[in-house]
Amino acid sequence: MSRRQFTGVLLLSSFLLAGVVFRLLIARQVNAHGLRLEWPTTDILQLRVGAVESALLAGGALGLSGLLLQALLRNPLASPFLLGLSAGAGLGATLVMLSATAFNAGVVGWLFGALGIADGVVAGTLGSLVVLAVVYALGRRDGRIDPLTLVLSGTVVSSICGALTLLAQSLLPPSSRGDSWMWFMGQIPEVPSPGLALLTAMLLLGMVIVAWRSGRALDAASTSDDEAESLGVSLKHLRVMLFVGAGALASASVALCGPLAFVGFVAPHMSRLVIGAQHRALVPASVVAGAALLVWADAIRQVIDFGAGRLPIGVLTALIGGPVFLGVLRSRRLVPGGWSC
Amino acid sequence: MLTIDAVSFHYRGVRALEAVTVAGAPGKLIALVGRNGSGKSTLLRLAAGLLSSTRGSVRWSGLDLRTLSPQQRARSISYVSQRPQLSIALSVVESIRLGLFSAQSDGLARQRVTDSCVELGLDGLADRPFHELSAGEQQRCLIARALVQHRSGGLLVLDEPFSNLDPAEASRVARVLRARALGGGLVLVAMHDLTLADQIADQVWLLERGALLASGPPSQVLTTSRLCEVFSCEFARGPHGITLCALADRAR
Repeated sequence: MSRRQFTGVLLLSSFLLAGVVFRLLIARQVNAHGLRLEWPTTDILQLRVGAVESALLAGGALGLSGLLLQALLRNPLASPFLLGLSAGAGLGATLVMLSATAFNAGVVGWLFGALGIADGVVAGTLGSLVVLAVVYALGRRDGRIDPLTLVLSGTVVSSICGALTLLAQSLLPPSSRGDSWMWFMGQIPEVPSPGLALLTAMLLLGMVIVAWRSGRALDAASTSDDEAESLGVSLKHLRVMLFVGAGALASASVALCGPLAFVGFVAPHMSRLVIGAQHRALVPASVVAGAALLVWADAIRQVIDFGAGRLPIGVLTALIGGPVFLGVLRSRRLVPGGWSC
Repeated sequence: MLTIDAVSFHYRGVRALEAVTVAGAPGKLIALVGRNGSGKSTLLRLAAGLLSSTRGSVRWSGLDLRTLSPQQRARSISYVSQRPQLSIALSVVESIRLGLFSAQSDGLARQRVTDSCVELGLDGLADRPFHELSAGEQQRCLIARALVQHRSGGLLVLDEPFSNLDPAEASRVARVLRARALGGGLVLVAMHDLTLADQIADQVWLLERGALLASGPPSQVLTTSRLCEVFSCEFARGPHGITLCALADRAR
């Protein structure tokens, strides 16, 4: 690891650590202004630790997923949700809400309950996984994943899922539509499901190891297909790994926190600014950057209350991250696939 | 030994190569010439194992390239593409180091990177971003990367490596490629500069419309009558090699 990469990882880790401390100490302000930092009682500390755990896992998963997809698609604008995962999750969650309303006492309601999918989280995850499978099938040409076909398939499938979600929402009773919208805005659960958190942590750890070991292959794969294959990269296998790994990470984050589109897009670029373009260093950096972004966003929203409770996390990440990203975009030169630093 | 045996290749039903049979021995520099669309790039990609032939077989050192994994192929075959592409912001030296992907990155390998930079005149550009280089400099980077990957006795395949180079750099690259051939490697180069092909190649393979029209020493293959037939323009062979007649008239 070069000195620049080491300094960059240290910088991002410090940013993450500061965010975690801030989130643990910051007191939620209700109808009041200003920051209040205090050591919480044990019960409240447990809730804050739970929120930090959720944000670390979902942010890290999104950061790595974004990096892998940008490498897979050779496209700096790629994000976990470009491939329709968010739209698929949204459709899954909305369909279950619609089914619960329409067939609550019927066979379908019983079936959903028996299968354990009468829940937005599980249905959302299933929706994103189904879309992942569909986009994977559509994004292949001549027996292998084709980046351009994959992006176009993802965009079209995303649009179809979006339209079906709107249709399903229009069929929901007005009283239920709010629940659907809240799910779409994302959440940072203070009491994450232990099983889900463990599964996400294991998946994240596994993918960090796999992606780190593939770091040099990811660098070589940033050349053309012919060049990458002639350097010795098995693009066929690498692309399946990237696609399945990135999709599983994004689905896990959807299961934990709902759709949070912005983090997976910004975290890899933020990492490139401080680390450079080599993937072996970018893998841990993107995980740390994604986790830091989400922890900070969750900390900041504790002190913003417009009278309707805390600001939804998805709104805040987009409101903060969007302008920051545009600022960076204007101050640096974007080269195909990355940043010129 | 590179053996191309009755190879045909069709792109989605359109014929690109038909029943090409030819062979090249290590220690030679072979120039592949022909008109645009004659099948040169397809033949090079087949020789590098990047395409599988529709019919026939391509063998290197007796092994059918279709049976080798990319990693196995990369240990003995290196390839320079016609169009450089790099979608991340790497420096010149980082992009050249990609040639070590299939090798151990030890001290000797790192020395190969330094040597290749010097050989191709890139030592002063090592820390510059790849995407900020001129087309000719990028081309030399790709050649340097292939040289880093190239092992003694291996096959070096280059698709129009001279296309963006000025005469001084073309001459430097030609010298480097000749040296690799003399070192025991087989160098297969697609090129349009017939004068250069005549000067540096041990053999010339002439393709027309996907078929091999002739192969052999440059003086036997690059005859003025054959070139006139293939390229539909007049050529003259003088003391300085082959020239297009329009240019020869002007020189006179």
